[in-house]
Amino acid sequence: MKRIEKKLKELSQDNQKAFVGYIVAGDPDLETSLQLMHLSVDSGVDILEIGVPFTDPIAEGPTIQQAHDRSLENETNLQKIIDLICKFREKDTNTPIILMGYINNFLMYKDLINRSHELGVDGVLVVDIPGELSLEDYGIDNQDLDIISLVSPTTSKERVKEIVKNSTGFIYYVTLRGVTGSSNLDGNEIEQNIKYIKSISSIPVMAGFGIKNSDDAKLLSSFSDGIVIGSSIVELIYKNSENKDFHEVSDYISNMKDAIR
Amino acid sequence: MKDNLPDKDGFFGEYGGKFVPETLMYALNELEQTYKTLKDNNDFNAEFHRDLAEFVGRPSPLYFAKRLTEHYNTASIWLKREDLNHTGAHKINNTVGQILLAKYMGKKRIIAETGAGQHGVATATVAARLGLDCHIYMGSEDVRRQSLNVYRMKLLGAEVHEVNSGSATLKDALNEALRDWVTNIEDTYYIIGSVTGPHPYPMIVRDFNAVVGYELIDQSQESFGRMPDSIIACVGGGSNAMGIFYPFIKMDNVELIGVEAAGKGIETGEHAAPLNDGTPGVLHGAKSYLMQDKSGQVKGTASISAGLDYPGVGPEHSWLKDVKRAKYVAVSDDEVMKAFHMVNKMEGILPALETAHAFAYLDELMPNMNKDQHIVINVSGRGDKDLNSVVEIEDIKL
Repeated sequence: MKRIEKKLKELSQDNQKAFVGYIVAGDPDLETSLQLMHLSVDSGVDILEIGVPFTDPIAEGPTIQQAHDRSLENETNLQKIIDLICKFREKDTNTPIILMGYINNFLMYKDLINRSHELGVDGVLVVDIPGELSLEDYGIDNQDLDIISLVSPTTSKERVKEIVKNSTGFIYYVTLRGVTGSSNLDGNEIEQNIKYIKSISSIPVMAGFGIKNSDDAKLLSSFSDGIVIGSSIVELIYKNSENKDFHEVSDYISNMKDAIR
Repeated sequence: MKDNLPDKDGFFGEYGGKFVPETLMYALNELEQTYKTLKDNNDFNAEFHRDLAEFVGRPSPLYFAKRLTEHYNTASIWLKREDLNHTGAHKINNTVGQILLAKYMGKKRIIAETGAGQHGVATATVAARLGLDCHIYMGSEDVRRQSLNVYRMKLLGAEVHEVNSGSATLKDALNEALRDWVTNIEDTYYIIGSVTGPHPYPMIVRDFNAVVGYELIDQSQESFGRMPDSIIACVGGGSNAMGIFYPFIKMDNVELIGVEAAGKGIETGEHAAPLNDGTPGVLHGAKSYLMQDKSGQVKGTASISAGLDYPGVGPEHSWLKDVKRAKYVAVSDDEVMKAFHMVNKMEGILPALETAHAFAYLDELMPNMNKDQHIVINVSGRGDKDLNSVVEIEDIKL
C-alpha cells in the first residue's frame, strides 16, 4: 500500500484527522530543514509537504514568497531537496512526503522526479498545472507517485469530476479565494463544497489555505479528512531562524494537532 | 503558413496553455467563453471600432521616412505610426478592447501590470472613461525610471501599487497582479498588457492589436502597390509585434523580424532576449521561451528599456520562431541609443526606447536590401516618457 494511503487509513481507523504540515526546503538552510522535518513529525504532523522554492510563486502570499527567496539565496534546487529527503528517510520511513511546487522546476528535473519514489517521495502537488491535465503529458510519469490536485471554491462541478478522476492520494481543497496565508474563511461554503467532492468520490479531502488558529483548524477538520497548514509554520520558522530554537514551532504544531483530535 | 492558432486548449504548437493555480481556471474559462461569444458579435465589433476611430484616433498613418531611406540608400523605409495613438503607444488598442469585455462581463474592478507604464496609462485611461475602479501593479525599479507615467496614472484616478518583490520589474508586477486576481476573482477583470499569460490572453491581446496589421495591408497597397518585403517590430512580451505580424503570417513572402533587447550584449548574459538566448519553460501561465537557469529558476533581465525588461515572451512568438516563420534578432543598449538619436535627428520623431530597438536593426538589415524593396517599422510608441532615463543615461545637465 502506498505510504499516503496507509497513513490516512491508520488515522481514520483511530478516528483521527490528518495534519499536513508545509515547510519550504532550504529555509533557513537545508540542514535545518532536516531538523525541522523530524521536529514537525515529532510534534504532530502526519504528512510532510515540502515546498520547492521558485522565483515566481504566483499562488503564494508574502510569507511563503519570502521563504522561497531565502531558500533560493542558498541555491536550493530539486536535486538538493531529494538529497534532503533521502537523509530524512534514514530515520523515518513512515511519514509520507509530498513535493509542492511549480511546473517549471519540475520540468527541469523530470528524470529525477520519475525516480523520486524510490528515493522517498510519495506524491507531487504542482500548483500551476490544472487538475484535469495529466502530468504524464509533461513527462512526469511514475505510477508510484501520488498526484495531488487542488480544488478551489471557484472550481465548477464538471471540473471537480475531471480533477477527482486524475487524482490519487488526496484532494487538496483550497479554502478561500486568495493566495497562501490570506484570511476570511467561509465555513459554510467550504462544508458544501467538500460534501460535494465526497458525494462523487471516496478520495480523502484535506482543507488548507488560511488556517491560522486552533478554531480554524477545528472547524475545517470537522468536515474534511484533515488540514494543511503552511504560512503560520513558515512564519514561526523564520522568526526563530536566528537562534535556531524551534520550540515555538513545535508548540504551535502540537496545539493544532490537539485542536483537530 | 497557417494562422488559425491557438488550438482549443490555447496552444501554439507546444507553446501557450493555461498553467495557473486552480482558483484562476474559473475566471479564464469565463473570459474565454465571453470572448468566443463576442468576437463575432456585430454590436461588440462596431463599438470596438468606433472607439478605435474616435477615442484612439485610428487608423494610424503609414509614413514614408524619406531621410532614413536616403541615409541607407537601399529599400524604402515606411513607419507605421502607433506613436500617434491616444496615450502614445499601441497599448491602447488592447485596453480599449479588453475594457469592453470587462463591461460586457459586468466587472467593476480593473487590475493591470505595467513595465514602462504605457500599459498602465492605457488601462487607467479606459477605466477612467467607464468610471471603473483601477489598480496598477508596477515594479519599484520601474516606478523610479518611469515616474512621469506613474503621475499620469494617478491623474487618471488609478491606484498605483509599487511591487518590491523579486527584481522589482515587470515580471514581479505580473506576479502581484495575478495574486490580486486570485484574491478578487469574482468582481475583477485583469487586463494583461501583452500577448503573454495564460490562454486566452495571448489570443485576445493579439486580436485586438491585429488592427495595426490589417490597416497596414490596405495602406501598403495604397502607398506602394503591394505588400511589404519586411516588417520589423521590437519584442518584449511581443504585443506590438504580434499585432502587426498576425495578418501577414499566411503571406509567406513577407519577412517578419522581431527585435529583442540584447541589453549589455547577449554574450554577457545581461539582456532580455529569451528568443535569442533562452530555453522553453513556464512562466506566468504559459509555456514559452524563457530566461532561466538549469534548475528552472527565472533569471534576472537587463535592458535600457523598462517595457522590454521581461524574461519571457508571448507563446505565439516562440512558435513562429520554431517554425521559422519569423526571425528574432537582438540589439544592444548602445545600438539602441544610437538609433534613438538618429530617428530624432533625421525624421523629427521621438521614439520610445522600446521602439528604438526596431530602428537599431536597420544598420544590419539595410545593406542587404534592394532599392525596389519596401520595409515597414512598427513605431510602437513615443518616447516622451523616456526623457528622464535618457538624461540620466547620457549624464546630461538640464
